[in-house]
Amino acid sequence: MEADAQLVQRCLRGDGPAWEELVRRHSRRVYNLCYRFTSNSSEAEDLSQEVFLRIYRTLASYRTAYGGFPTWLTSVTRNLLVDHYRRSRHDRMTDSLEDLLPVVEEKHSPMRTPDKAAMARELSQQVQSALSRLSPELREAIILRDLQGLEYNEIQQVLSVPEGTVKSRINRGRIELARILQDMGVRPS
Amino acid sequence: MSWSCVQVEERLSDYLENALAESERIEFREHLETCARCAPLVAQVSHVLGSLHALEAEPAPPGLTSKILDQTLGPRKSKKEWLSWIPILWQPRFATGLVTVLATLLIIFHATGVKPSNLTLADFNPVNIVQSANRRAHLAFARSVKFVNDLRVVYEIQSRLQPATSGVPNQQTPSATPSQQQHKSPNESQQDGFSNQRFAEVAALVANATGRSAP
Repeated sequence: MEADAQLVQRCLRGDGPAWEELVRRHSRRVYNLCYRFTSNSSEAEDLSQEVFLRIYRTLASYRTAYGGFPTWLTSVTRNLLVDHYRRSRHDRMTDSLEDLLPVVEEKHSPMRTPDKAAMARELSQQVQSALSRLSPELREAIILRDLQGLEYNEIQQVLSVPEGTVKSRINRGRIELARILQDMGVRPS
Repeated sequence: MSWSCVQVEERLSDYLENALAESERIEFREHLETCARCAPLVAQVSHVLGSLHALEAEPAPPGLTSKILDQTLGPRKSKKEWLSWIPILWQPRFATGLVTVLATLLIIFHATGVKPSNLTLADFNPVNIVQSANRRAHLAFARSVKFVNDLRVVYEIQSRLQPATSGVPNQQTPSATPSQQQHKSPNESQQDGFSNQRFAEVAALVANATGRSAP
């Protein structure tokens, strides 16, 4: 498989198929990053398009010394997510109470199936719901580390903060997430 | 000396990621054995971490890549899009519509006498279509006029024959003998003359209707 850096070089020479390959290779990753951050598939799709549009326009500014194309891509995505978070802060504040209601219903729902797949789906929804209640700083740190599997130094590059801060945010984020899930009735079996 | 709760919370991720030194690890565990608050917290965080790692990546929406490529490289026509109309043919709605259209065409062809196999390009010329429709309309009109006239003749024959047959009380049977025919009463002879006259009238009428001269 051709390396991302080579594909980028071909893109810069105006090679359409190279760009197509880059998009196919990374669109799922970018979409997941956006989805885990926003908890909304429609918003995540729009943001993913915006991310690739920005990448396409600023591809010439990418340097291999930065730390690999995926890290740069994650960094651009994260910056866009932060912008989006700031833009939509007002809407989210008005929606926050409504967001809590379905969770309460879920907790007391008698329609629980013993099926393992259904339980995994339910847990996944609960984790996603708990993630959306974390502060953006803690949320992005958890998403990058525990969902995207980035190393601490990569997260440090993406977030542009010292490694100590990254570790602290991840630790606090995990504890906070555990407490939210405990309040939602999710406990270790 | 065992760690405090604050220390355990601060180093919780290091413990779960096996990033603690052996001595730190022992002290961490010693605290967990004695602290009723920290032990469940560590278990809960460990469970959450497992849940996060078990979360499967969401599949990207089907059209996402195409949308991105359209926005960056411009609209493209892929082979799949080119043939995307084919599945429509298998929809019951389309099949029903197609059958209805074919049945309608069949009825129209049958009614107008058009044979699809004999159609040529010239038949689709609007002038030819109008002329053909005009000719067929005139033919249909002439046929209907003839039919009505024929009916009129038949009814007239029927009405003229009716009084002649109804006025005879005892019709002669075919088995009547010649001797019986020789002895006709004056009344019977009069009836014969009346029937002959009617017959002549009907014959003239038929001749008129068919366009031939009367005998």
